[in-house]
Amino acid sequence: MRAPIGIRISSRRKALGRSQAALARAVGISPSYLNLIERNKRDVGGAVLLRIAAALGLDIGELTGEAEHRLVADVAEAFADPVLAPLGFDGEAARDLVAGNPALAAALARLHRAYAESRNERDAYADRLRTDPLLREMLHQVLSGITAVRSGAEILADVPDIGEDDRRRFVNSIGSEARMLTGVARNLLGHFESEAAVRRAGSPARELDDLIFENDNYFAGLEAVAISLRREVEAFGPFGEAALVEALARRFAVTVGRSGDRQRDAFGFPGQYRYDAETRTMWFEGSAIAATRQFQLARLYAELAAGDAIAQEIDTPLLTGEAARRLAFRALGSYLAAAVVLPYERFLADAETLHYDIEALRQTYMASFEQVAHRLATLRCPDARGIAFGFLRSDPAGRLTKHFPLPGLLLPTSGHACPLWVIYEAFRQPETLIRQLVRFADGSRYLFLARAGARRSNAFGDRRVHTSVMLACDLLDADRTVYARGLDLAAAEGDVPVGPACRLCTRADCASRQEEAALPGEAHFAVRAPLVPRSF
Amino acid sequence: MAIDVLIAEDEPSILESLAFILKRAGWTIEAVTDGDAVLDAARRLRPRLLVLDVMLPRRSGFEVLKAIRSDRMLSGLSVLILTAKGQQQDRRTAEELGADGFVTKPYANAEVVDAVRRLLGEALAQ
Repeated sequence: MRAPIGIRISSRRKALGRSQAALARAVGISPSYLNLIERNKRDVGGAVLLRIAAALGLDIGELTGEAEHRLVADVAEAFADPVLAPLGFDGEAARDLVAGNPALAAALARLHRAYAESRNERDAYADRLRTDPLLREMLHQVLSGITAVRSGAEILADVPDIGEDDRRRFVNSIGSEARMLTGVARNLLGHFESEAAVRRAGSPARELDDLIFENDNYFAGLEAVAISLRREVEAFGPFGEAALVEALARRFAVTVGRSGDRQRDAFGFPGQYRYDAETRTMWFEGSAIAATRQFQLARLYAELAAGDAIAQEIDTPLLTGEAARRLAFRALGSYLAAAVVLPYERFLADAETLHYDIEALRQTYMASFEQVAHRLATLRCPDARGIAFGFLRSDPAGRLTKHFPLPGLLLPTSGHACPLWVIYEAFRQPETLIRQLVRFADGSRYLFLARAGARRSNAFGDRRVHTSVMLACDLLDADRTVYARGLDLAAAEGDVPVGPACRLCTRADCASRQEEAALPGEAHFAVRAPLVPRSF
Repeated sequence: MAIDVLIAEDEPSILESLAFILKRAGWTIEAVTDGDAVLDAARRLRPRLLVLDVMLPRRSGFEVLKAIRSDRMLSGLSVLILTAKGQQQDRRTAEELGADGFVTKPYANAEVVDAVRRLLGEALAQ
């Protein structure tokens, strides 16, 4: 799904009162090619796009419309919702709406998001009512209490010759059961009220997403802080684990320990590392690798030395609840740690020199694959951009657990992606980087890179859950990376035909389809039909 | 000494009223309050009928029923199961395990008395 770059180019050109031929001449392309670009019939990127932007006096970001792109995707998703699908709005309608009335499009997208969230909430409640052990226990108590009350009351009513002792016994028993039921009813109400309080905060993860998108995954304030933090650490030796340990000890009296056992936090959640604020001790499990230790020490240093800077970034109306602020603080603490370990300017220069070779960058910075991949997706400083990468992470169940989109490329925000994406194939060849050239139904082409890995196990029987991390970049940028070597980028026949996810994919001829498309205005094609044609 | 009805129910108030109405209907009764005790008591007391609650501590009513049906001495014992309203799956499970009758909580006393009477092969009260 492409952002309407063409529409933006043509409307800006018309606003400036220039002809297609004049702009084409200024950019150095043929008028017919410009015509195709303006009608979104041709991809445009790289040097040509830069020249067009310059000729129109626009910033490249305004032209590619990254914000609009996300809005178009959101509106298209709303249109594809079963509630709206019968009205027949298609992707074109979504683009037109965003181009013609962005405020209204934003309102529609927000409304749809709220609707989808409340629908998920309803499903979660239905699940809870069926399976919640606490509710089941309360239901059992209610039924028992009512059974006893009813049975006792019937005895008192139906047995005229009941003895005084028995009568008193049943009256007492009805009384105590009624008191018990009152307690259960109170618990039940309390249960729902606390649930509602938790829910009211909305979806904290989604609010964090909004904060990251709003900043284009680049936080200039934190980058500046990172430069001085790194300098502080380097006063204790060449940057690395030893200097971090020293800096933490001298500045914050923190000791760093290793332990054979898995560490648990205050809630009992097991992890490879844990900070005990009371004793000022950072614990690492023996199996934690050097990259993890370096990164988490940097994160601790960042939280201790620059907590205020992080707090300032999360002081925004986008985050409405405690949970969202907690998630955001954690995420931005990690961002700051990454900026300390992988300093922007040097990292960008090295990335360019090494042609974005992630393994080589790992060696240079003693960092993990995910740390490097994630940092690459943050090279969005307006004055010094790297290749624009989308970032995605999946667990082995296919669930997407982290994502940052790429202009033009629709990365699903939750659930699962297209089963053909290399992010899933990577699970079959763990610890190996796999590349893939893909083509979407609209003709847009991307380079996907994925690698699955797991933390080291700490004992026999310790279950290692792999996660797969994927980077995506526009094919136009692929030749700047080492991963294009040996590939014929011009030959589209080798591309894997993919979609965003089955529900949003228009390919009728895909043998890997798992679910019917929910796209309005497209011919409906059934999956999993009987062999012999039926009317349904 | 054989008895008419053995009740397996852990809620004291329910047990109290069950015992009262079944005694009043003319049967001899004994009671146990957890799943582990049911089989022993059944062997010892040789009841004509077992009234068995599904939700028993230690050993669920289902486990008890399954053990009874595979026990040479007890397999012929009539079993009336007390299930909770709305738990359709409980009822199916009990049927598959060979329960002879069901009463759903919360019940009317007459439902229990009638079900017991039917399973004991006695004429229903007029």
